[in-house]
Order: sequence, then structure tokens, then C-alpha cells
Amino acid sequence: MTALLEIERLSKRFGERELFNIDRLHIQQAAAYVLTGLNGAGKSTLLRVLAGLEQAEAQRVCFLGQQMRLSPYSRAMREAVVYVHQHPVMFSTSVAHNIGYGLEARGLPKAEIARLVDEAMDWAGVEHLRGSKPLNLSGGEKQRIALARAKVLSPKLLLLDEPTSNLDGAAREQVIALIPSLVRSGSSVIMACHDRDLIALPGVQRLKLREGRLQMRQQQRVHAA
Amino acid sequence: MHLLDALRDACLLLLSGDAELWGIIWLSIKTTLLALLVAAPLAVLFGYLVAARAFAGRRIVIWLVQASMSLPTVLIGLLLYLTLSRQGPLGDFRWLFSQSAIVAGQVLISLPVLTAFTLAAVQAADLRVAETAVTLGASPWRVMRTVLHEVRYGVMAAVISGFGRVISEVGCAIMVGGNIAGETRTITTAIALQTSKGEFAQGIALGIVLVAIALVINAVMVALQGDARAGRGAA
Repeated sequence: MTALLEIERLSKRFGERELFNIDRLHIQQAAAYVLTGLNGAGKSTLLRVLAGLEQAEAQRVCFLGQQMRLSPYSRAMREAVVYVHQHPVMFSTSVAHNIGYGLEARGLPKAEIARLVDEAMDWAGVEHLRGSKPLNLSGGEKQRIALARAKVLSPKLLLLDEPTSNLDGAAREQVIALIPSLVRSGSSVIMACHDRDLIALPGVQRLKLREGRLQMRQQQRVHAA
Repeated sequence: MHLLDALRDACLLLLSGDAELWGIIWLSIKTTLLALLVAAPLAVLFGYLVAARAFAGRRIVIWLVQASMSLPTVLIGLLLYLTLSRQGPLGDFRWLFSQSAIVAGQVLISLPVLTAFTLAAVQAADLRVAETAVTLGASPWRVMRTVLHEVRYGVMAAVISGFGRVISEVGCAIMVGGNIAGETRTITTAIALQTSKGEFAQGIALGIVLVAIALVINAVMVALQGDARAGRGAA
């Protein structure tokens, strides 16, 4: 199968300081990865670079077999890659509008948006929040809505920055439970995290950022588990 | 005693529905709203772009916008007078001493205030709002609409501040409007004229209207600030 994303010689500098210099990043289709590393190692920055939210130097970028650019960020990648913040922000409209935002941006008909939003709410277990004000939701509820908001777009690559940090108990378990189904639905997921339960998910491959270099440790695939 | 008499006469004048007085009030409100209608979209767009985009000289633009808020309105009036006078570059419009000239002056006066307030509101916005919109595939235009919606209380405060600044200014309106009765006489120019004539009742009546407008504007701003704080607090 063609790799989802291949990047060679990816480097990010802040002035004189080089945050990372990665020889090769290889992301498979429909696979899950955890990105670990010490605080300040550059995990979040790497995700933001992959999402086109920060600029970096790359010698070669190949997305689904096509040559792409990270800066300016290629349109094909913009439509296929979704990034979710550590603390997802909700637009102050409605829960349904938040989930359907990306579909509206893609110009889908209203009826189709409503159907897909309903499906995504059901998937994330947030139907009961339909009438709630997004700004009043708990951290776990916001995280699940953010995942639904991303999943509804069927992204090829989903970048999650510390998806379970600051969550505890049931909220954390609910978020962790959604990850394998994202992969089964065809998305590749890269999660920057320290959460042992996420790292221990079946089939999750481990990427480790250490002293600016990326190390990879492979396990069996999630959807084969 | 003199002041109390004038105050009583002013109240009677207001309550009597004096056509000239209420004509002046309506003219002021009309030109101010027209000016805001022209200036607000331009200023909000410019303020957003300056706040949201990185470009060379951005800090200088921000400095100029903020500095231009302090420009005396008589200076703006003088420059506009020269521009609109017969020999001026826009003399052919024949706008001098017309309501159009007053509106043009009010647009110039309100632009820096509206821009600076919008800029501050967008700069204070949570950066994740724009990033989330971008990563969900929104076009730059949709990102702007989303961010402005999230900072709508700040933008509304900008418009209200612009209204207050414009309706209470006198220097520019008197220079380019000419203070012509029934044509270009606004609340502030009428107060200046009546005071110079020693006829205080109409001046005080108009002053009461200005104070009432200021109180309403500030009440709305306080309410908006409360709403904005409530939104942030719940976030």
C-alpha cells in the first residue's frame, strides 16, 4: 500500500536553535502512532508543522504518492489533514454547528451536513449535548466534540495533541475508546502524548522525538488487532 | 439661578417637541449612522487584516493607527476643507458645507477608533479559533468571519465607541459643514453657536441629549463587556 505521508529531511529552527532535524518520517495509511518525548522535545511543534500551522524546511514531501509542499501548505493536504489542539476550542455557536463546520467549509448541502453531524454525534456519544452551549462543556466533552468535528471530515491524517491530558476517569476512557474506531474508519492518527493507556493501545506504533531526532518502534496494526 | 432657568427652559424645549431642536438631533444621528455604515466595514476588515496577518511594517501600521486616534478633529476638518474646497482635489464634488462633507469628516474621524478597537479585539482573540478554522478547511474569508464572530463583543464595542466619538465632535463638523440651519447644523455645532449668542436653553437641551446618548452608549458597552466576560468565564 502507498504510504500516506513520507517526508525527508524535515527540520525546524527557532532562530539559532534547531528544534528537530528528522531524516525520514514515514506514515502508513490507516495506522495509529503515538509521538512521545520529553517536554520541549518538539512533539506539538512537529504536529503543527504536519498540519501546516507552522513553517518548517523539508527536502521532500510525498502525500499519497504525490509530491507536496509544507510551506505554503498544499491544498490537497489541507483537505486531508486535521489537527486537534490539546485543549480544543469550541466556536460559540452550537454543538451541531461546531461538528458541521468543516463540512460547511467544503460546501456540502445542508441536509447532507445534518445527516453526517448526526452520525458523528452518535459516534462520539454526544447526542445529549446537542442543546448545550459549547463554551459551557467540560474538557472531556469538548475533546469528544473536537474528535467528532474532525472525524466527520473523514481525514486521511488526524493529528491529536495530548488528547487525554487534563482528562480523568470516564472522560479519558471515552476519548481513548474513540481512537481505534478512527483508525478502522481509514484515518491515520498521530497522537503526541504521555498517556500509557494510549501508548498501550493494540497496534499503535511509537515515534519518539529525542534530541531533535525521530526514532520509530513498530507494533502490530490497530485494525488487525 | 441663571443656570436653573436655562435648565428648566431646556427641558421645556425638549418636551415641547420643538421641530428645529429635534431636526438638529435627527441630523446628527443620521450623519453619524451613515458615517459608521461606511467606516465600520472598512475598519473592521482593515483591523482584522492588520491583527491577523504578518507583514513587513506591521508594527508601524499599528503605531500609525493608534496615533491617528489622537489627531485633533479640527486638523482632520482643516485637511478635509482643503480637499473639498474649490481648488482642492475633490472640489468638483461640491461637497463643502453639505451633509456629505460632514459624513466624510465623520468617516475619517471614526476610522482610526474603529480600526484600533477591532485590531485590539482580534489580537486578544484565542489563536486556536483561527487555527481550528484553518485546519477544518475554512477559506481565509470564512476564517475571518469565524474569528470576528468570536470577538463580536469587541467589534460591537468598537462601533459604539466610534459612534460616541463621532456624534460628540465639533471641530470638523463646523469647518466642513458650515453650521447651516436645517442643513448642516449638528448637536455640537448648534451648542457652540447658541452659547456664543448667549442663548443657553437650546444649547443645554442639546447637551442633555448628548449626555443621554453617552449614558446609553456606556450602558451598552458595560453590558457587552459583561457578556464577553461571561463567555470567557464559561470557556
